[in-house]
Amino acid sequence: MRELRDLQLPLNQTQKIRLRRALLQLQELACKMNSSASVTVADTIPVNHEDGVLKGHGTSELDGEVVATLCGIVERVNKLVYVRALRARYKPEVGDIIVGRVTEVAPKRWRLEINFSQDAVLMLSSMNLPDGIQRRRTAVDELNMRSIFEESDVICAEVRGFQHEGSLHLQARSQKYGKLERGQLLTVPPYLVKRRKQHFHHLERIAVDLILGCNGFIWVGEHVEARDNMVEDQETKPEQLNSKLNRISMSLEEQERICTPLETRQSICRIVNAVRVLSSLGFSLNVEVIMETVELSVSLNLDIHEMLGAEFCVQTAEREVERRSSLSKKKG
Amino acid sequence: MVGLSVGEKHFIQGGIAQDLRTDGRKRLTYRPISVETGVIPQANGSARIRMGTTDVIASVKAELGKPDLFQPDKGRVIINVDCSPTAAPVFEGRGGEELSTELSVALQRCLLGSKSGTGAGIDRSSLLVVEGKLCWDLYIDGLVVSSDGNLLDALGAAIKAALSNTGIPKVNVATAASADEQPEVDISDEEFLQFDTSGIPVIVTLTKVGRHYIVDATSEEESQMSSAVSVSVNRNGHICGLTKRGGAGLDPSVILDMISVSKHVSEQLMNKLDSEISAAEADEAE
Repeated sequence: MRELRDLQLPLNQTQKIRLRRALLQLQELACKMNSSASVTVADTIPVNHEDGVLKGHGTSELDGEVVATLCGIVERVNKLVYVRALRARYKPEVGDIIVGRVTEVAPKRWRLEINFSQDAVLMLSSMNLPDGIQRRRTAVDELNMRSIFEESDVICAEVRGFQHEGSLHLQARSQKYGKLERGQLLTVPPYLVKRRKQHFHHLERIAVDLILGCNGFIWVGEHVEARDNMVEDQETKPEQLNSKLNRISMSLEEQERICTPLETRQSICRIVNAVRVLSSLGFSLNVEVIMETVELSVSLNLDIHEMLGAEFCVQTAEREVERRSSLSKKKG
Repeated sequence: MVGLSVGEKHFIQGGIAQDLRTDGRKRLTYRPISVETGVIPQANGSARIRMGTTDVIASVKAELGKPDLFQPDKGRVIINVDCSPTAAPVFEGRGGEELSTELSVALQRCLLGSKSGTGAGIDRSSLLVVEGKLCWDLYIDGLVVSSDGNLLDALGAAIKAALSNTGIPKVNVATAASADEQPEVDISDEEFLQFDTSGIPVIVTLTKVGRHYIVDATSEEESQMSSAVSVSVNRNGHICGLTKRGGAGLDPSVILDMISVSKHVSEQLMNKLDSEISAAEADEAE
């Protein structure tokens, strides 16, 4: 259960009582739903010794007994017994969609920071070229890598796999991957983002893109149409080059004009604050919960920055209790 | 601090221009402030202030000492700030020293006035015990536990809270001491005098990003700043100190505008701080 002190919010007495009650109710609901074997450090794992069991991660042999060395849930796969920690570091799997930040531009590759124990690698060959033609990467392409991605850029990509030396490789060949601009990047603990079928969410009503990276990086930004480079005309290319040059020399007023419109910005800020509240309470993040939290704040007529206050935090917890109890009633 | 991409920088600047910052605040809104007093029991007074993710602790220790030769009727106040390496990776080893000295000097300027003691926010004559011989030396130490922008405001507020939590032991001076000898004193363990904090100013830092000023910048917003002006204002609306940081030059009319904006913001901040401090003291008393 989350310690109330972790929340770092000034809660008065009634709010503390309400929050504690809500968290206790959530714990009861969770216990009812799954009674899987959870263990803490030095708990014995019940194992049939005649079977010749394989001791996996998080276990250890002590006096002939299999003992857990982590706090987590016991998983059994045929003869393998291991303990899966609940709040572990991000563990990449092939096909995960992640959001990362470029830390280095190296020969024929970019290195990205993705909240993992090492930096991930995005090869130049795993990335579409700006002109969209499928061809072999030449030395000129290698010299122009910075025109595609620079240091500190935020990129969305997919995990391609692990190399034999252990480094993580990414690929960004589809149109929906690539550089993310005009928005905000948030960091949440990675175990709050469960693997789902869809991680890109285009919220049409408010024209906002929400990308829930499996590594805990969440991107909320203005909606950008995924341009198909193959279909583009050769004529429109010089116009694009001109507009890019113009942006650098533009004055402040002109930059303000092409800026994000206020309504979209308000929606983006509401979603960002909703994600912050949910992650501070330790609730799993998915689109439905985030949008419900946003709608709750709108219905309560709260100012956007009040969403980070103590009262809304308690109300979000209570709302989550209602939601989960109604879900469990539907099931059982 | 990790770098920001060009797109994110434009987003932050655009937000400030449209009066809607990345966490939904307006330009002149502070983050929620939480105050705890009495966090260090061995000190005479202490307080911990959290403004969003910025976390600072201030402690006050009082020791008996001899007053300055040139100011025999005033006590001494020494302010020192330390940036803990846990606050940011750049503070490891000696990396935080430059920032610590900058913050200490700015705090001294804002709270203690000039060398001769004129214009001080803290009244040093209340620290006197025996004129010319004995006075209280207040050692005010600030510790930055977690750094997310706006350290100067947080430290100023923490010092204000710590001083209102400070109890100076009552001293009974043995009478009939001659002019040359040190008087004998009896420091009471039971009775304490509360330090008078009505005159202590609050520090308001205005960060200029583009053409607009914001209050209580996070470290992301501070990375986009062109310059920052910190003004310490007391309850009467008088300015006790002024510091400017940042490489860009400012037009004098802009500085005057920033001073008037900070004066306006300081009233709300002062009231908020006072109510939070009294709530924290009430919590501590329970």
